[in-house]
Amino acid sequence: MHIAVIIRLVPHTDSELEISDDGTDIDREWIDTKLNEFDDHALEEAILLKEIVGARVTALAVDTEGADRLLQTAIARGADEAHKISMPADVALCSRTMTLPVAAAVQKLGAELVLTGVQTPHDIYGQLAPYLGGALDWPQASAVSGIGADNDGILVQQELSGGVSTTLRLALPAVVGVQTASQPIRYVAGSKLRQAMSAEIGTLDTGAEPLEIGVKPTGLIASTAAGDVEMLNGGADAVAAKIHALLSERGLLRGERQ
Amino acid sequence: MADTFILWLLLVAAGGFTWWRFYRLLRPMKRAARAARFDQPLRRLAGVARALGLHERLLKIRYSGILHAMIFVSFIALTTSIVESFGSVLFPGFSLGPIGGTTWIALLQDIFALVMLAGVVLAAFQRYVLRPARFRGSNAIDATIIYVLIVTIVVSMIFEATFGILAGKAGADWRPVSHALAYALSPLRLSGEQAATAVTVFYWLHVTSILAFLIYIPGSKHRHMFLAAPNIYFRSLKPKGMLPRAAPDKPPAPVASVEQFTWKDMLDAYACTECGRCQAACPAYAAGLPLSPKLLITDIRDHLIDAGDTPLIGGVIREETLWACTTCHACMEACPVHIEHVPKIVDMRRYLVEEGKIAPMLQEALSNLQRTGNSMGSATRMRARWTKGLPFKIKDARKEPVDILWFVGDFASYDPRVQDVTRKVAMLLNEADVDFGILYEAEQNSGNDVHRVGEEGLFEMLALRNIETISGCSFNRIMTTDPHSLNALAQEYRAFGAVYEVMHYASFLLELIETGRLKLKAEARGKVTYHDPCYLGRYNGGFDAPRALIERAGYRLAEMPRCRENSFCCGAGGGQIWSDDSGVEERPSENRIKEALSLEGARYFVVSCPKDKVMYAAAVQSLGAEDAIEVVDLADLIARALAH
Repeated sequence: MHIAVIIRLVPHTDSELEISDDGTDIDREWIDTKLNEFDDHALEEAILLKEIVGARVTALAVDTEGADRLLQTAIARGADEAHKISMPADVALCSRTMTLPVAAAVQKLGAELVLTGVQTPHDIYGQLAPYLGGALDWPQASAVSGIGADNDGILVQQELSGGVSTTLRLALPAVVGVQTASQPIRYVAGSKLRQAMSAEIGTLDTGAEPLEIGVKPTGLIASTAAGDVEMLNGGADAVAAKIHALLSERGLLRGERQ
Repeated sequence: MADTFILWLLLVAAGGFTWWRFYRLLRPMKRAARAARFDQPLRRLAGVARALGLHERLLKIRYSGILHAMIFVSFIALTTSIVESFGSVLFPGFSLGPIGGTTWIALLQDIFALVMLAGVVLAAFQRYVLRPARFRGSNAIDATIIYVLIVTIVVSMIFEATFGILAGKAGADWRPVSHALAYALSPLRLSGEQAATAVTVFYWLHVTSILAFLIYIPGSKHRHMFLAAPNIYFRSLKPKGMLPRAAPDKPPAPVASVEQFTWKDMLDAYACTECGRCQAACPAYAAGLPLSPKLLITDIRDHLIDAGDTPLIGGVIREETLWACTTCHACMEACPVHIEHVPKIVDMRRYLVEEGKIAPMLQEALSNLQRTGNSMGSATRMRARWTKGLPFKIKDARKEPVDILWFVGDFASYDPRVQDVTRKVAMLLNEADVDFGILYEAEQNSGNDVHRVGEEGLFEMLALRNIETISGCSFNRIMTTDPHSLNALAQEYRAFGAVYEVMHYASFLLELIETGRLKLKAEARGKVTYHDPCYLGRYNGGFDAPRALIERAGYRLAEMPRCRENSFCCGAGGGQIWSDDSGVEERPSENRIKEALSLEGARYFVVSCPKDKVMYAAAVQSLGAEDAIEVVDLADLIARALAH
């Protein structure tokens, strides 16, 4: 099995996000980026599959600033190879614009299973996996928290509402949006990371034209803090008494005798 | 003639058997990893002479130090008796007589026999009656056997002389003890022949008990009679804050199994006397965590002797044991035979890190450090955010030359509980017109604790990034607000060829006051106590500057019982700040605050490390002692004492 994992750099949301001058995007000049958390799980799940059923894992990322380091980290984690995917410079990056170049890269590599994170801070509706499924015309499942494989394809655990989950069988090739890996993400020692830092990352030029963006943001608003935090100080008894008073004040104590 | 033959036979048999026992024991050292401990022979010898001659470390616990000195000196004096007993029979005609064997040497033997017995009585009283907690886990049977053997050797020697006097074979003038005993035994009215027989009996008891002692030693903690001196000789002469490294370009290898230790690590294990001083000093042990530095060493030793099927890590030594260490160096400072506990723990941690066997919280911290260069995972661009709100702009040392390059450190930069102190330091530097700058978002965690967690690769990445940034700056000296960074910059970065003049802010503030650049108002302000941070004090000898600052600021210092070299770790070092408290019965920080509270009237608990501010403020709060004591930084005291 050949697995392609699509990993993305997203803004570090601990940064102080500022809105750009035109008011339609965050100011990206002063923020850190990091690997999208769900993509991290997708990568871990791919490596787990590699360990269990012997898959080959290729990590893919759109060619942006920091993509080399991101892909080198994937190699340190256990990916067999890694490539950047070229994008026209003037195209704003989003799930929709990524779709065709990524799909073309997947086809070029001959991968049969595409894993990516279920969503990103940019794309909270989780569009990349369904878009890719559509573009490749492959079966697709999202919100997956564990993948198994047998001769007939893959079995995915999908989370539904209300604490219910279901197992789906997908015939390969397929696209999966991963929510969590079946095991916690492993730690990669710095020595392995340093080794991988010397890995050359090549660029796949697919020639695929990105889709047009149909929806454009007209304005971005920063949310404002709703209330203050009050620290309760003093010994355990004093703090407990204050908590009791606060709960009582708000009528949150049941059966309390006044 | 028969005696000579028998003694030769016994000596050769016992000597051969002892040699074989030692050989079997020490054999693993032959194939062990290398350790460069052969340089500076004179300095090494001087250290051995000082350790043995002055008993410095042993006398830190006065009772045991004195009893050890009594036994030690007596052993040296009584060697003459051993030489005489064996020499006179092995080589008929041999005698110490010509050099004083019947005069002053006899006198020494008589006196030190008593001193030895008194020492053994004190030792036995300590072990069976006083029973200090540090002996918990030590082999008491071994100690008892040794006491019995020593008493047998000494008593048989004395009785041999006593009956010699009664038999008219030995002079009584120089043997007051034997003489008194002979006098006491005179009512028995032994014939000359009977007394001579007794001499023979006690002679053979004497020599055979010596040979039994010899044979017993290789399997006993009393090996230290032979191995303590070599172990002290081969001690590390590197700065304390520099973890051992085979070569500058060769990162230390993880230790997964016992044969991967260096020969010196093995010698450490064999030399352990099980005195438990390390255990008594260990903050992890005191906290109830599964780490006793003593048992760690004796477990390694027993595993070296008989490996069996149990793996070293995860078997003989639990992972929790390795992760409990705060790397505070108190054990190593206390060890009379200079055993190096901490480097072994770090070597074994390296294996766990390589295998990815680390606790979730630590994994998060290390992943954060890989990604952002700080353990909190905060954005690098937020690193200098603490400077917001200062009435002046701090120079960017990457862009313009400065006199003082301030390496701020993670906690001082990011932790809201410490940022206020960091700003105060900036204000003080500004007040003194210091030309200083910081590295802004280019500063990374110094890697000191990453190194001690065993994450060698990440440590190198962080160190090399910092070194690269610093090499692009023009400055004269580096100042840091963080003792852990101080240690990394001053000691550890040397391994990469980066040598800086680094100072802790306490030293620099003191310099500013002494040169009149900071003016303080002379005023008496009351009593405080001060906590020595491990990486400033024990590791880098920075004991005096903070104390001088406290005094300059007008405060009277009341020392806690555990101060300076004996300071008690806050519990945050060596990566512990990235672990949870599971298994902790009493937090070391709370133990420490209680110690401070036992001082009469110390209003402030003064700290000089950002981690201490965090740890102790939390401890004071959880003890509900806010009304009794307040945790303040040195910078707070100086800021309050400013002249204007």
